[in-house]
Amino acid sequence: MPLQPEHIDKFIATELDSKSKTELLELLNKRIKRLCFEECERDRILCTLSPMCSKRFLLKLRILNGLTIEDQPTFCYSVHKNIIQRDFRNKTVIYKPFDTYLYLIDFLDIFFHGDYRKLNKFLSKEDFKAAIDIFDDRIKNRDEHFQYHLTADKNYLIFKFEEKIHIIFLKEKYVLCNVNREKIANLKIVKGLSDLFSSLYFPEVQRTLVSDDCVELKTYIPRDILNKISQKPPENEDNKKDQYLWNTFANDLDALSQFCKEINLYIDKNENLKIKLHLDVNNSIRYRDLRLIFNIIFRLYNEFYIIWV
Amino acid sequence: MEEKKLSEKPQENPEIEKIKVFLKDERFDDVVNMIALYLGDANDNNYLDRLEDVIETLMLLHGGRIVLRFLIERLIIDIPSLLENLSKRDSVLRYSFLLLLKSMCENECDIFLPYSEDLLNSDDPNVREADLQLIIFIAGGEMSIEDESLIKGIANKLNDEKDFVIKKAIQALIAIGKDKPALVTKIITNYVKEFPEDVDLKASVDIILKSIVSIEGIGVIVEEEDEKEKEKEGLEEAEAEIIDKEIELKKKEIEIKKKKLELEEKEKQLEEKIIHEKEKVLKLKEEMIDQEIEKPVKTEELPKKVKKIIKKEESDILDKELELKKKDLEIKKKKLELELREKEIEEMAIEKKEETLKIKEELIEKENELSRVELELQGKKIKEKELKLLENELERADQYFEEEEKKIDKEEDKNK
Repeated sequence: MPLQPEHIDKFIATELDSKSKTELLELLNKRIKRLCFEECERDRILCTLSPMCSKRFLLKLRILNGLTIEDQPTFCYSVHKNIIQRDFRNKTVIYKPFDTYLYLIDFLDIFFHGDYRKLNKFLSKEDFKAAIDIFDDRIKNRDEHFQYHLTADKNYLIFKFEEKIHIIFLKEKYVLCNVNREKIANLKIVKGLSDLFSSLYFPEVQRTLVSDDCVELKTYIPRDILNKISQKPPENEDNKKDQYLWNTFANDLDALSQFCKEINLYIDKNENLKIKLHLDVNNSIRYRDLRLIFNIIFRLYNEFYIIWV
Repeated sequence: MEEKKLSEKPQENPEIEKIKVFLKDERFDDVVNMIALYLGDANDNNYLDRLEDVIETLMLLHGGRIVLRFLIERLIIDIPSLLENLSKRDSVLRYSFLLLLKSMCENECDIFLPYSEDLLNSDDPNVREADLQLIIFIAGGEMSIEDESLIKGIANKLNDEKDFVIKKAIQALIAIGKDKPALVTKIITNYVKEFPEDVDLKASVDIILKSIVSIEGIGVIVEEEDEKEKEKEGLEEAEAEIIDKEIELKKKEIEIKKKKLELEEKEKQLEEKIIHEKEKVLKLKEEMIDQEIEKPVKTEELPKKVKKIIKKEESDILDKELELKKKDLEIKKKKLELELREKEIEEMAIEKKEETLKIKEELIEKENELSRVELELQGKKIKEKELKLLENELERADQYFEEEEKKIDKEEDKNK
């Protein structure tokens, strides 16, 4: 049996001789270099339509490790940027650019073209007020539709363009575009996303960052609503509230339990049903998981809480 | 369900939506007409956006290629301007669209080939690259490319300023070379000879040759070369005959030239002889003068040093005199030449005067003749007038006599 990738993976994980590990990684590095700078870019059509690394993950590898644009294969990166731009303009793309990384300046160029140099300067100098003025001006006066949220520690700037979420990593000066399957890096981002979605869809849901342990989301189903729920499984399918609480709620709780560190359900002193979710990043929560959690909260909020209010 | 509430869908373009509906119903003619109107209504600002919308729609839907073919055939979209417009857009759209043209290139290359050579010389490297890609598609299709000038054009791109165009040109030549290895080999080897020091070009040509020349390929090349050699032999025989005739003609021309040269040489020899004779005459004259000068010196008795000085001075004087004489002769020659020219001019003037005189004489003669004729005419007229007068007088005399006779008769009657 020839050498398999998992053998190499195991070797790197277990081998104690650092020299042989370095040698192996050097070989891999040379191969990557030849692949990116010679083989793949040899034919620009192939590089555009079927790149030799899937969804250009080798660009991400370089961006995440702090390499600059000069270290990237130029044409490949330009195509990568084009794809994100086309997706932003709702044009057809070869693949959906989920979880793709861009340098900050290129992200600003695509999404805030007219102001991208100013924004880059303001964000680099941490002049967030000036940057926010530009965002607000675009929303109010230039008929642009997006929402944004700057996290409390001012390390992350989250944007929502329609259903697409992009996160600027301000210190690292790169951007994660179209978040989906990528793991959420830390609780600050979870809190930031919760705040952004809460401000848009469920403003009265309480959100708290519990030290560096978890983010707590708290909502409730009011007593009046609970009292109206039938005591038996509903026969009439028209009553959506009965249907939901009897048939779907349990499934939703099950789904939430997969992504939440803790779920607390209890009747408070006002006889409301309190729902308390603790979110952390230790169990590799992904952005799409968080979206699912928000969907459930939105449903509870929209169908039970708002009506009661 | 909830996902939809959290997101908003972008608004669709109504015209493109209609095109999509018609395309799904396979109403290709209607789709073509709608696209023609849609593009026709565009202005400079939105033409590219509309073109992109159309291309995207055609790329995605079944039947898009048929519509595209109709659009190209009916010149609603023409290939050169389409490639130029696509060049202004991002590479994703450009290359995706090129792929859409692949099957058309393979099966109906006549739509594209007429533009290929011109597009290779476009100022825009993206257009050159796109054109080369279409050529690759064509070469991979039913027809093989045999147009030598087109292949030479592609070979020229091996020296393009853009690396990606060079790479595409290599691919194109490899694609063509698979069908026509001998032709491509000949053209690129000739081309590389034009740039013997270009290492990069040699490397590119190496890649092409390695790709197109196999052991079987060499057999094909040899066979093709044999056939060509036979053709060449026939041509060479004909050429040899023509060359023989040309050589004969050239020989005759050379003989004529030789004779002319001989004549010229003879003329020169004659001139030289004349000059020699003149020189002899001059020398004789100089000797005569020397003798005249030397005589008084011999009679006098002087010291040796003084004699030497005198001799030197005499020789200097003689030299100067000779020079003066030569100059005099030259001046005389020039004067004679001038006189000759003047005489020639005078002769010319005299000749012209003679001619004018002759003309004048002729004119005078003609005038004399005219005056003679006029006199004769006048004489004739006078004679005629005289005759008339005589006749009139005769008539009058007759009448007079008749009247007189009548009077006499009457008187006689009265007397009776």
